[in-house]
Amino acid sequence: MDDQGCPRCKTTKYRNPSLKLMVNVCGHTLCENCVEMLFVRGSGNCVQCDTPLRKSNFRVQLFEDPTVDKEVEIRKKVLKIYNKRDFDFPSLRDYNDYLEQVEEIVFNLTNNIDVENTKQKMEQYQRENRDVIQRNKAKLTREQEELEELLLLEQQGNEQRRLETLQEEQRQLQAKRKNKQALLDELERSQLPASILLAQHKDRAAQLETQIEKQKQTVKPTTIFSTGILMGQTVSLQPVARIVEELYHYKPLKIETYGPPVPELDQLSRLGYLNHVRASMPQDTAGGYTSGLACHRAIQDAFSGLFPS
Amino acid sequence: MKINIEGLLVYFPYDYIYPEQYSYMLELKRTLDAKGHGVLEMPSGTGKTISLLSLIVAYQRAFPLEVTKLIYCSRTVPEIEKVVEELRKLMEFYSKETGESSNFLALALSSRKNLCIHPEILHANIVVYSYHYLLDPKIADLVSKELAKKSVVVFDEAHNIDNVCIDSMSVNITRRTLDRCQNNVDTLQNTIRNIKETDAAKLKEEYRRLVEGLKEANVARETDVYMANPVLPDEILQEAVPGSIRTAEHFVGFMRRFLEYLKARLRVHHVVQESAPQFLKDVFDKVCIDRKPLRFCAERLRSLLRTLEIADITDFSPVTLISNFATLVSTYSQGFTIIIEPFEDRTPTIANPVLHFSCMDPSIAIKPVFERFQSVIITSGTLSPLDIYPRILDFRPVTMASFTMTLARTCLCPLIVGRGNDQVALSSKFETREDFAVIRNYGNLLLEMSAIVPDGIVAFFTSYVYMENIVASWYEQGILENIQRNKLIFIETPDASETSMALEKYQEACENGRGAVLLSVARGKVSEGIDFVHHFGRAVIMFGVPYVYTQSRILKARLEYLRDQFQIRENDFLTFDAMRHAAQCVGRAIRGKTDYGLMIFADKRYARADKRGKLPRWIQEHMSDGSLNLTVDETVQLAKHFLRQMAQPFRQEDQLGLSLLTLEQLESEEILQKITQIAHQA
Repeated sequence: MDDQGCPRCKTTKYRNPSLKLMVNVCGHTLCENCVEMLFVRGSGNCVQCDTPLRKSNFRVQLFEDPTVDKEVEIRKKVLKIYNKRDFDFPSLRDYNDYLEQVEEIVFNLTNNIDVENTKQKMEQYQRENRDVIQRNKAKLTREQEELEELLLLEQQGNEQRRLETLQEEQRQLQAKRKNKQALLDELERSQLPASILLAQHKDRAAQLETQIEKQKQTVKPTTIFSTGILMGQTVSLQPVARIVEELYHYKPLKIETYGPPVPELDQLSRLGYLNHVRASMPQDTAGGYTSGLACHRAIQDAFSGLFPS
Repeated sequence: MKINIEGLLVYFPYDYIYPEQYSYMLELKRTLDAKGHGVLEMPSGTGKTISLLSLIVAYQRAFPLEVTKLIYCSRTVPEIEKVVEELRKLMEFYSKETGESSNFLALALSSRKNLCIHPEILHANIVVYSYHYLLDPKIADLVSKELAKKSVVVFDEAHNIDNVCIDSMSVNITRRTLDRCQNNVDTLQNTIRNIKETDAAKLKEEYRRLVEGLKEANVARETDVYMANPVLPDEILQEAVPGSIRTAEHFVGFMRRFLEYLKARLRVHHVVQESAPQFLKDVFDKVCIDRKPLRFCAERLRSLLRTLEIADITDFSPVTLISNFATLVSTYSQGFTIIIEPFEDRTPTIANPVLHFSCMDPSIAIKPVFERFQSVIITSGTLSPLDIYPRILDFRPVTMASFTMTLARTCLCPLIVGRGNDQVALSSKFETREDFAVIRNYGNLLLEMSAIVPDGIVAFFTSYVYMENIVASWYEQGILENIQRNKLIFIETPDASETSMALEKYQEACENGRGAVLLSVARGKVSEGIDFVHHFGRAVIMFGVPYVYTQSRILKARLEYLRDQFQIRENDFLTFDAMRHAAQCVGRAIRGKTDYGLMIFADKRYARADKRGKLPRWIQEHMSDGSLNLTVDETVQLAKHFLRQMAQPFRQEDQLGLSLLTLEQLESEEILQKITQIAHQA
């Protein structure tokens, strides 16, 4: 990049590395000083291709190839108009065709092919799809904001984690030091023989070690729900549509038999069925069992034989 | 001999077997039965290769539907050759014993001259090639995509596998790459223009295919779904190429814009570190390039090169590199980092901007291997501590076992020298590197060793710079002269041909009895590939703890990532990495049970439990508490004693029954009991 020279004053670029090159809409470069000199009246013609240019259209050159600068400028302008997204199209193929169209337009404008037609096409498209363009513009800015938020959160999370681990290590180091100091103090002051004190100290040190080991194994706290949404992130959901449905009503089952109806549980003793069943002992009734239950089941079994086949 | 391992009949082509080989085969069989992955550590020089091959071949013959293929991955071409030799022996044994000529097909792929045609690979039972054919996504797609699911993959000498995975997914871009890429793009544009005038049909055909969303015509496959390409997740592979890069001109314009963006990024004056999503956002802001077309870059470029019928692909390697970078950066949002440095740390005045796109997570490259194949075995002589590998490679092994060598006589003698004769602590810590006393003590150690150890000594330093400093100091102190009276001195340099010349002469000196000392570096070519058997390496001295350069930004980013994702402390990981290199270096000296050697760790930090515990079990068990913090004199005493013992004649009969077993001894009860105790589950 530094070996490019300004096409007009040629030498000045090499001698002055801080000099910037500027590009205009025609794709040709000029160094800052030359721009000042030539466009002192605000407008003029390009040195190499003679197209009429305005001073305000000069931008600092970012890339080595000025045509790329020009293309990027054109592309940004085109994309402001042609900003449909993949969900605006019924199929992937249609979306890809649309993308190809956009590329054609940018290509034509950059290489000065068929400029008039292309500009007309663009204006027509803009007129037809004004509302879609507006809607997508709003959506885009919202998405960008969300992305920035996410990145910020991620950074903060990283910082926090780092600080935490540092603090943890500090704490462990301090605990070890305290332990050693405690041993020295005890050896100095206490009356117990040194071997016991050493054994105690060893125990404490081992305990500390296991504590540290356990901490190392602690599971990383989850930061993300299973749906992929980060914890703590406010998710703006669309309001749920209210669905009204019929409440369910229970209707007991009615089965047609071709015989007499099955007697109910409370009628059994009156009708005399219970006489043919073993009476329930006091131990059975304690659990809630009555002979009527067994009888009723047997009767239902018998009556089920009446069902039409 | 024919052995019975839990019901499986294994043909072993030798008459004697080591107990740990039997134990290893037992563990291996259990892993295969469980259809899971395994991590097995077996000391070097104990016949690991032949145990692996005989067991897996026997398993294949017994259960041909369970295990259809064996894929043996090794690091270097000499290792592949060794494997093929052993395999040949095994096959001869089979044909001798069973009388039938085996219909096993084994295929070895090494360099370009030995590449095979892919249909053969479908029928082969055993395939031997290098790691990269399975791990590097760009190569794996071409070579390994037809491999069936019911295969066993073995990674031999896999202690560095995480670095291999990371390197295969990392990209470094310099200014020079970008300039060459610019030329490529211009060439492409011209070629397209020419073809349009002469034969526009080809381009139209390609365009039509891209519009229809058809992939390139694939060869009909008999086997099931091929291995997923980790560069592109599955759903994306099925999608059509986006419309913005369909036509050839649009695509070339797209590449040009991306290239200009990269050039602009490289013009920074300070270091920049950012994540992949941040990079993508910046790309979109500056040149309006979306994420989706970036993902399809590599594929689109391949298709274009094929349509234009470019004859010499290697000319286009810069643009291929950039397109791979584009695809990688847009596919993965986690596990990668981008670091742009305006100059290298050690040469701040020379402007040499580099963009490092480095992978921090080795599990990304190896995940498709673990998911696709039913059994993956990772084995090496130095895999301690075993539990780190499942954590950083993110897989769940059914077996993790570490084996030791059963020895009839203790043929290794690891010693930790922590002090010099003047009680100055020896260490290669950064703070003590310039210390005159430490350097003098190191020199004294080497001098004494050169006086008592016969034939060859290999000395490893932690880095080239450190080695040069120390050797210069030794020269000034006159130590080199004294050493040269005992032995010749050879030194390893970053240049490959110089090093091989030094190695040759070193071997000559050891052969004819003059004796020599080889000074080399712990992460250099010598420590990775060369074996020092018998008299070529009677003693190995590790000067210091071989930590990697800890100020490198890529390393720092990786450590941070490991801490966040896997809860591995930075210190633990650095120590683990240093100790595995140290173990690799000292393991060079022992290549068999009749070989013997001294292993001297010359740094007081080795005595600490956290470092000692990271040495492999088969080294640790020969370290007694008394040999942990020796002075140089004490070391010399112990070494003399050891060497004199080892010089006594030692016949094979002495080993029988203890470290070497015949078939009858193998089948006796007590030996079987001892064997089951050899495998130590981690």
